[in-house]
Amino acid sequence: MSARPTLFSSALRVFDFSLGQMLWSRRSVFLGLLVGAPIVLAVVVRIFAIAGWLPIVNGSQVGGPALFGVLMWLLFVRFVVPVLGVFYGTSLMADEVDDKTITYLFTRPVPRASVLLGKYLAYLACVVLLLLPSIIIIFFLVVPIGGSIGQAFPQLAADLGMVAVGVAAYGAVFAFVGAWLKRPLIVGLVFAFGWEQTVLLIPGYLKRLTVAYYLQALVPHAMPQDSALSMLLGMFQDLPSVWVSLVCLAAIIAAALWLGGRAVENREYVLEQ
Amino acid sequence: MTDAATDVIIGAEHVSKWYGQVIGLNDVVLKVQPGITGLLGPNGAGKSTLMKLITGQLKPSKGVLRVLGEPIWGNAPIYSRIGFCPEQDAFYERMTGLEWVTALVSLNGLGETASRDMAVRALETVGLSDVSGKRIAAYSKGMRQRVKLAQAIAHDPELLILDEPLSGMDPLVRRKMIRLIKDWGRAGKSVLVSSHILHEIESMTPNIVLINQGRVLAEGNVHQIRDLIDEHPHTVYVKADETRELARRFLADDHVLSLRFEEGAVVVQTGRPDVFYAQLTELAASGELGVIHEVTSPDDNLQAVFQYLVKS
Repeated sequence: MSARPTLFSSALRVFDFSLGQMLWSRRSVFLGLLVGAPIVLAVVVRIFAIAGWLPIVNGSQVGGPALFGVLMWLLFVRFVVPVLGVFYGTSLMADEVDDKTITYLFTRPVPRASVLLGKYLAYLACVVLLLLPSIIIIFFLVVPIGGSIGQAFPQLAADLGMVAVGVAAYGAVFAFVGAWLKRPLIVGLVFAFGWEQTVLLIPGYLKRLTVAYYLQALVPHAMPQDSALSMLLGMFQDLPSVWVSLVCLAAIIAAALWLGGRAVENREYVLEQ
Repeated sequence: MTDAATDVIIGAEHVSKWYGQVIGLNDVVLKVQPGITGLLGPNGAGKSTLMKLITGQLKPSKGVLRVLGEPIWGNAPIYSRIGFCPEQDAFYERMTGLEWVTALVSLNGLGETASRDMAVRALETVGLSDVSGKRIAAYSKGMRQRVKLAQAIAHDPELLILDEPLSGMDPLVRRKMIRLIKDWGRAGKSVLVSSHILHEIESMTPNIVLINQGRVLAEGNVHQIRDLIDEHPHTVYVKADETRELARRFLADDHVLSLRFEEGAVVVQTGRPDVFYAQLTELAASGELGVIHEVTSPDDNLQAVFQYLVKS
């Protein structure tokens, strides 16, 4: 009657109808807040700059590109991206189970792993399409404060790429956690804001077991460099090269999705009556 | 293709399922032949567990389960031959009926146009053509049941598995759906339909499997337990516009033992469910007492019959 659907073709079908569901879900309000709040913050910074109230560090006023770097690193890479990864990634399968719609997907001739993959792609599209424009708006609000848009523009492209890779990596890790564990949210939050934050401060090899370690190597400029803490951290920093980071992040994404797919294939989802 | 040696559509060999310490199904041996088969049992009997095992949502803790001659757990390709209508009232509410059925049919590896054509045909079959462009969130209970059935039949499967498919339908749609399921059986397809209402199953097929407390009590002809059922009052919940007029009409019948009112509904106990349902369908068709929205039956009456069967 029809060709047997492959993993990828099935994932694309799941992606097709999951994207709309995801965009209109309650989580989109949460995403809107996470994406909107930094824009509001950038507007406030711009107003402060116009009023001449910007902070002075080491005798000189902090410029727009530096402020943008701080926002990128501290707000987006260390907070917004992991939070989105935790809340969306862990819910990819959980939402279908809670809504009891998973039955319709698991009684079709598609590999179960394609459901996870399709929903992961929908998460990626949904978050990237909403997050990146927010960063661009912030760039145009903040960078002109004592900086040149033209000069900073290549860095913006790198930052956007880093955020997209971060969204993909955190999403994949938490998609696996969500597929593997019954109560994944707490584990996800502990990983993102306990393990990752702590281990990055400890010298040694443990930091290589974090996503943030490889992300920060992609755009080291974005890290704040003007505090005693950052100077101390600098002593312990042994950042990998961009290419090593990209390869490691790609490996993390592939491994997490493969493990997540295996977990979905083998797990029984018992729906509450 | 069925199990070549025995012509068995669904075969369970000493299948058990445990949820931790709780037994969901206990040493079930079952051979479902081609045609329509009813799976009858009260809530908590193990019907849902058996349906979930048969549809490959759960893996047997023990024993072997084969559907259409193949193991079902982890066997994705077999679902192109199976249509499943689950019990739960769960949908992607923002989608229209047509979008939803098309999306699910497309998972069978069909192109967009073919999927849409199949979805249109299925929605027409269940009588939802005129509302196929409406969001599912705006559907009535009966429409939601029918759109679930549409997604199950759209790809023309060999085996249709229906979990409480008539729940919440009004009498006219219920009659139409029963006819549809019977037509499906006459066309050489197989149907396994679960219900806690004997009358429903009886109107579709004489072949039943009785299940209670995780065990299959009996397989065979429905008429053998028919008399037992009649001895126990049957409770029917009727949601309608004119509940007082309906109640007045019901009270005139000898077989109506009692009735009470609930919000927008009347709950009737009858000693002759077959006669009662026939009268109700006629009333709904005539429209003389307004619209009858929903007819459901709690399983207390069936539970009483099963208790009797277990004792004897």
